[in-house]
Amino acid sequence: MKGQPNRLGTDRQHHFHGSAINRTKPLQFRLDGRVISGFAGDTVLSAALASGIDTVGRRDGAVLALSSRHAPAISFAALAGDHQRALPMERTLATDGADYLTSARKTKGNPITRLLRRYGRSLAIDLDRPDALARPWLGTPAAPGPQADLVVVGGGVAGLSAALAAAKRGLQVVLAEATPFLGGKTRLFGTQEGEETPDEAIARLRAAVAKADAITVLTSAEAFALRPGVVRLHQVEMLDSTPTGRVIDIRARHIILATGALERLPLFPGNRLPGVAGTLEAFELAQLHGVWPGATALVATSSSPAYRLAMLATDAGITVPRIVDSRPRPQSRFIEFSKAYGITLAAGTIVASAAAAPKGGGLTVMPQLSMEGFSRAEPALTVDRLVVSGGWQPDLTLWHMAGGESAWNGSSARLEPHAGPDGIVLAGSAAGWLSRSACLASGSDAVDVLLGRQRRLVEDRLIDPIYETPDAPAPVGDEPDEAAQPVFLDGGWRHIERPRKVVSRWPAWLPFAPKPPGWSLADTPQPLDIADIAAGVQLGAIPAASAGIVAQERVAMVAVESGEDDIGPSADPPAPAAQLPDRSLRGRNTVAGRPTRRAAARYGRADLFQCGYVRSAQGHRRRGADCRGQGRGPRDRQCRADGMGARTQPRRRHQAGGAVSP
Amino acid sequence: MLDAGTRQDEAIYKPNAAKNHQNTRSWGGRIATGAHCRGCVADGKHRGMSEARADFVIVGSTPTARLVAGLLASTHGKAVVFSGESQSGYRLPRAVDLSVAQITRPESWALLRAGLPEALKLISRIGGRRAWSRIDPIFFSEMPDGKEALAHIRHMALAFGHAAELVPSSALGMGRDGLLLRDAVLLHRPTLEAGLDRWLEQHRVRRLLDGDALTVHADGSAELVSGEDRVEIGQAVLADDAAILAHAPKALWPPLLTRRVHSTVATEPTRPMAAALMHRLDTGLTLVQQAERGIAAIGPGAIDPFAAALGVLLGREREFRQAGQSSYEAVVTADAAPAVGRLSGSGPDVLAGLGPTGAFLAPAIARWLCGVAAPAENAWLGARLVDRPTAASAVAEFGGMA
Repeated sequence: MKGQPNRLGTDRQHHFHGSAINRTKPLQFRLDGRVISGFAGDTVLSAALASGIDTVGRRDGAVLALSSRHAPAISFAALAGDHQRALPMERTLATDGADYLTSARKTKGNPITRLLRRYGRSLAIDLDRPDALARPWLGTPAAPGPQADLVVVGGGVAGLSAALAAAKRGLQVVLAEATPFLGGKTRLFGTQEGEETPDEAIARLRAAVAKADAITVLTSAEAFALRPGVVRLHQVEMLDSTPTGRVIDIRARHIILATGALERLPLFPGNRLPGVAGTLEAFELAQLHGVWPGATALVATSSSPAYRLAMLATDAGITVPRIVDSRPRPQSRFIEFSKAYGITLAAGTIVASAAAAPKGGGLTVMPQLSMEGFSRAEPALTVDRLVVSGGWQPDLTLWHMAGGESAWNGSSARLEPHAGPDGIVLAGSAAGWLSRSACLASGSDAVDVLLGRQRRLVEDRLIDPIYETPDAPAPVGDEPDEAAQPVFLDGGWRHIERPRKVVSRWPAWLPFAPKPPGWSLADTPQPLDIADIAAGVQLGAIPAASAGIVAQERVAMVAVESGEDDIGPSADPPAPAAQLPDRSLRGRNTVAGRPTRRAAARYGRADLFQCGYVRSAQGHRRRGADCRGQGRGPRDRQCRADGMGARTQPRRRHQAGGAVSP
Repeated sequence: MLDAGTRQDEAIYKPNAAKNHQNTRSWGGRIATGAHCRGCVADGKHRGMSEARADFVIVGSTPTARLVAGLLASTHGKAVVFSGESQSGYRLPRAVDLSVAQITRPESWALLRAGLPEALKLISRIGGRRAWSRIDPIFFSEMPDGKEALAHIRHMALAFGHAAELVPSSALGMGRDGLLLRDAVLLHRPTLEAGLDRWLEQHRVRRLLDGDALTVHADGSAELVSGEDRVEIGQAVLADDAAILAHAPKALWPPLLTRRVHSTVATEPTRPMAAALMHRLDTGLTLVQQAERGIAAIGPGAIDPFAAALGVLLGREREFRQAGQSSYEAVVTADAAPAVGRLSGSGPDVLAGLGPTGAFLAPAIARWLCGVAAPAENAWLGARLVDRPTAASAVAEFGGMA
């Protein structure tokens, strides 16, 4: 395909043709002046990736990959100055003839390159700027959204199930899905014995939802703020075939969070280089859009679904020379099938580092045998792509925003939900369920919890650990030195790095030898995403016992303005509460930290501190006082891959169900 | 508000009768604090904690608490148990540690001035040069009382040789008066805390482990149960607000102390402020801008009104996104003056209302607890006992904090 080097062909039978795109309807649009080719059904992001753009820009000299969780905002060239009309690349459907600009500042560099706008594989964004990947719509005032009795956040199988159950019980439901497509992430995980296939399940649920008049579906609608009774979301809707963003508040008595799970990033130098992608990211790009950069891929995992992806990629013509697994003796039905595919497996092995290959594209990956205290470097591998998986973390971001609690589970190495506020219930993977059957059942159960009805039995039917090794914690490599590529804790846009080892010419035992600087996540001027916190616990920067409270403290809270009366500053509250009291009131007087008119009237003038005024007695400008210069396989194979014949057993029986009750 | 500095002549403080620290006891010619440490002092084995007795338990997570614990163990040879989390590296700050404050009392300026070199030398040795930095904080107010307090504070600071400059209202916003204090010392808690923990370990201060149970009794003694071990502790010192709230016996709660909700909001990087640290006398709000230009705002109030007031204060040009938020209880004194000493005269010791300067007073406090304080320290701390009556004063010791 001309202009789309990363688009998979359709000359052979495989599952990565791109279920969301229509290859008979090609389109073209401009992005920062470059012509991008795609197909109807592509997002701006998937088309850019198909066209060979795989880099966002540089941060501290290191190039970082473009992904659905790490992409800049865009806006129409004609509206470039209007940040409130900005759109997310990953949620905006590509339209023929559109002209987009990324809203972030570009890196300086060769002026001729800049003039000609020839950035190669990169969007050339200056990621050293703190607002480089800011999402301007977070501060946009919200318009009222559709009326609802229940808002379901997340259009995966749990969310679809919850919406249907609620509609069946007579509730008016709004179902909000962040991506342009319903169905969620269940396709990656395959099928267990006796289950319908993921595609069948999704098609069944989608058809039922489409028939239900009581369900309003909002796609490309990402919820970014939540408090009991209100969900604020940003939606990209197509108005006259033009993508348009809007921010709306949906008020409802009941809210179900079926936000799924985030894939953890293994911690090794170069874990966010262009060419490194998470299993889920790689699967969705390939399955929905038929995009797979490169011809060879190394898979590094601590979770079994990655083996399934490796087989599907092999079917699509991708060479997978090896799968490295951090688990010492992994067992999985997918592993047995992978062996049948002829893929070399390396157990007890992690990725020690990744670096750009010396010549041309691709990555040089250093595997490291790391098992039971024994460690040995393995020969380097050069591949086009490194697909990694560090396990799964329930996405509790909105849960924490609403005041929900969580606690670290040491055995599963993840934060799991505990008690939450009235009127808000978790379902599906977000509630900690693992199997599709449990996720489906937990959706219905969540509705029963909210309505105070008798609850149903939800059970996670998991394959016996003898046959299916549970996920291991995200692999953690050695402490990086000063010359190493940065190690990021997560693949999002927070850019929280693991500190580097400080090399000293003095032995550490000498009293005057420099002490290692303490790692302070408290000083980090960004919110901590939940995967950052999970990584922080693994690295010992956050005690496990404090992980839940830190997750609450450092969630990216966006204030939701309410129409209720303000409450003035409480000089001496009669009954001070414990941590995070009355979060339902939080931030009512501010919008993204900006005071509302009402708050301004109440608390006084909107004055500011003029910087640059404070001079020393000698007339010299003092540090910190200057505001200038702010910058710094075949079908039968697939049946096996889907888990045909897998034996299952119920792992967990919860009369209480998958939803976490208030 | 109470004029704590004028209470020295009253009956509360009796240095001759009580040596330095109230209720300290003389055993065999030694000054010892607490009821159970005599044997430990006699056999000299107390520092190893092999026996089931200790002199002090210091409860608290602040640098003040750690410094007091370490000084009691290192300088004063006491057997010390420490109960406090090391959380500065991952929790939002609840206070700042600054060598100056909005202090209106000359004796407080004198004590801080005298004690700063010693405290700074100790902090540098423990935490290294990265544990503190020099800054020029600004204290400001827009209320008449606050402006008056600022003028008073400026006179005091200048009288004690501290460079204090008026800040033009154009730098702060119309109608505001500001006072800039040069070359103050700001502690960097995450860095210092790591050093302090090493220091405590070096001096064999026993730390509570997960599963250990500490009980503070009404007579000021305490008991630590750790697995099969049981440790009797002579005297408990509740060295920060959380410790007081968690361990102060209900029956001994003094009228001087009240609970109040405070909040911390951390912001993503925003435009620079006029100074790296600013304190608003009218509301008790403290703003600290970090190197990466994120702001930590700490002050009284629930998160909602607190964030709203912060948004107004920073103005439209500093629209911010929250990088973190926390609400918690703090202990404030009714007269905005420090409160130290034993609850009801015989209970556990408390350290409350010391403002941002507590860490710099730690050497004096440690000496006082051991009964070896200098006369001036003795007088200052003795005049600020927690069981003093609550009374009003025109000018609070910490201007504008009440």
